[in-house]
Amino acid sequence: MNPINSLVQIEDVTRKFPLDHNAVTALDRVSLCVRPGEFLAIAGPSGSGKSTLLNLIGCIDKPTFGRVLIDGIDTASLGPARTTQLRREKIGFVFQTFNLIPVFTARENVEYPLLVQGLGSAERRKRVDAALESVGLSARANHRPDLLSGGERQRVAVARAIVHRPALVLADEPTANLDTNNATQLIDLMRDLNRSLGLTFIFSTHDQRLLEHTPRIVRLTDGQVVSDSCSQEISHGQVFASCVS
Amino acid sequence: MGKFLLLAFRNVFRNRRRTVMTLMMVGGGVAGLLMVGGFFAFMMRGLRESTIRNGLGHIQIFTAEHFRRDEVHVLDTGISNWRQVAASVQSTEHVRGVAPRIEFYGMLSNGVKSSVFMGSAVDPQAERDMGFSPRLSSGRDLASNSNGEVEALIGSGVARSMSVKVGDGLTILAVTADGALNGIDVQIVGIVNSGFKDLDDRYLRISLPSAQRLLQSDRVTNLVVGLDSTENTDRVVTVVGPHLQGLSQRMELRKWIDLAAYYKQVRTLFSGIFLFLGIIVFFMVLMASVNTLLMAMMERTREIGTMLAMGTPRLWIVALFMVEATLIGVLGAAVGVAAGNLLGVLLNASGLHIPPPPGTTVDMSFRVLYMPSLMIGSAVMVIVSLALASILPALRASRLQIVEALAHV
Repeated sequence: MNPINSLVQIEDVTRKFPLDHNAVTALDRVSLCVRPGEFLAIAGPSGSGKSTLLNLIGCIDKPTFGRVLIDGIDTASLGPARTTQLRREKIGFVFQTFNLIPVFTARENVEYPLLVQGLGSAERRKRVDAALESVGLSARANHRPDLLSGGERQRVAVARAIVHRPALVLADEPTANLDTNNATQLIDLMRDLNRSLGLTFIFSTHDQRLLEHTPRIVRLTDGQVVSDSCSQEISHGQVFASCVS
Repeated sequence: MGKFLLLAFRNVFRNRRRTVMTLMMVGGGVAGLLMVGGFFAFMMRGLRESTIRNGLGHIQIFTAEHFRRDEVHVLDTGISNWRQVAASVQSTEHVRGVAPRIEFYGMLSNGVKSSVFMGSAVDPQAERDMGFSPRLSSGRDLASNSNGEVEALIGSGVARSMSVKVGDGLTILAVTADGALNGIDVQIVGIVNSGFKDLDDRYLRISLPSAQRLLQSDRVTNLVVGLDSTENTDRVVTVVGPHLQGLSQRMELRKWIDLAAYYKQVRTLFSGIFLFLGIIVFFMVLMASVNTLLMAMMERTREIGTMLAMGTPRLWIVALFMVEATLIGVLGAAVGVAAGNLLGVLLNASGLHIPPPPGTTVDMSFRVLYMPSLMIGSAVMVIVSLALASILPALRASRLQIVEALAHV
């Protein structure tokens, strides 16, 4: 894949965590390219490095070695303020445990990223309405998270992740706390948003139900990419992808 | 900004029980300060007014010479043209009256036993006009015009020591302005209980003409000015000062606070005690609040991580915690002021009395004054305390590693 066209480019990334006097390698020389508009799953068993990889792509962690480029920007070269700005403007997050602000209503939760961006109230209202409508929760907009079902909460989280029109949405095990019905609905929703808005989705999962709907699956084992459904060659943990979207 | 404040406000009530406990602690501190401060203020006001009404007056006028040297002869630094000075001052606004006084010393005797006295000669009517009446335990005040008899009031300690009562006679001996020894017989018409034992053990009061006859002088030691309100003291001093220029004797004014040494000592003592209490409350609120806010921070670690992941500036997190703490401070202060005032009303209505303070013989009523300045001061203190208490949790929250915060259970 031509790196110039990639939204996310991971080059030979290793992430080690100190543990006592040793270091645990969570990711080992991983390379990956993701084009704009892709719908990509990172699959693998627990401890395979899925969340670590998402954290690096989400700029909330830094690699021990290697480079992570988002939209052509080397995240290692950014200071804390620019990194925060990059996350604020280009990335949306969906978490396994929803992570909604419990004292805010669904509408206020969705509005939060726009508040952080400093948008005016009229523009905020318009975008929040659109985001809630896109996830089918307009009628539940004024409910607090504790009055919503698990599926509804995760849809609010998805609305929050897309409301500021990011280039990339990262979802860490988004269906792990959902039943089959809600999980399927959520995946369909994310896929619809991916198609209709051209949003790039990268999510981690070990849920087979999800993978059936996913055009590109990157499998990790012990911190290494062992397969990429769109790759042509896998060698020594590196993916030389020439994936055509 | 509005949503940010809304978030802070809702977070305050997120854990209601903990917030209520914190509000009770903060409010209790404020209420305690209001109670203590209000009671101290009541005591100090009572002491101030009793000091003034027991004869100190609001302003005293002396000759400048009085402060420059000791008297060689009785009243040789006294005011000679005191009627003119009194008339000049009397016409000033807020002045209720002007009373001439002679302070003198001597011996008194019942024929068997002698004792030293501190005498004060007054114009009884002028004193009464100003509301300065001695606190009598028996008998009556000096008459304005006695029929030849020299009337006297004596302290309860003197009466006990000399074994005399109302209606009995005593002989007073004093040195005249010429340095000779002179004496007059007086009849006791009243026993005074000022509340101060040291004073009651030496107290003697006679009328001004009697003292002038005893001391063989037309002069007075000073003029005591009584005002309609203690709060007008400074204003009247400013107005009266120029009126006393150009007289044959140079005059000096003294405000009551300059002459009330005992009052100032007590006020300093009480201020120190109150400051100490305030510092204790401040640190109690500070320490307890730090603990509470740290708990709140720990509970919200994942939420903070989420906010940071979404691009919230770390400064916002600091501000959020500080605003929340300040809100708790404001609410706690409001609770404390309300509780303090309510308790004050109940205590004032209860009619409680406390035993006599050291050096006095009269028990005191327990009352709490409403002091807006103290309410504001206490409120500001706890709000500042809460804001300071939030710094550590706020900084900790803002420095959380996002990955670790999101993984927090």
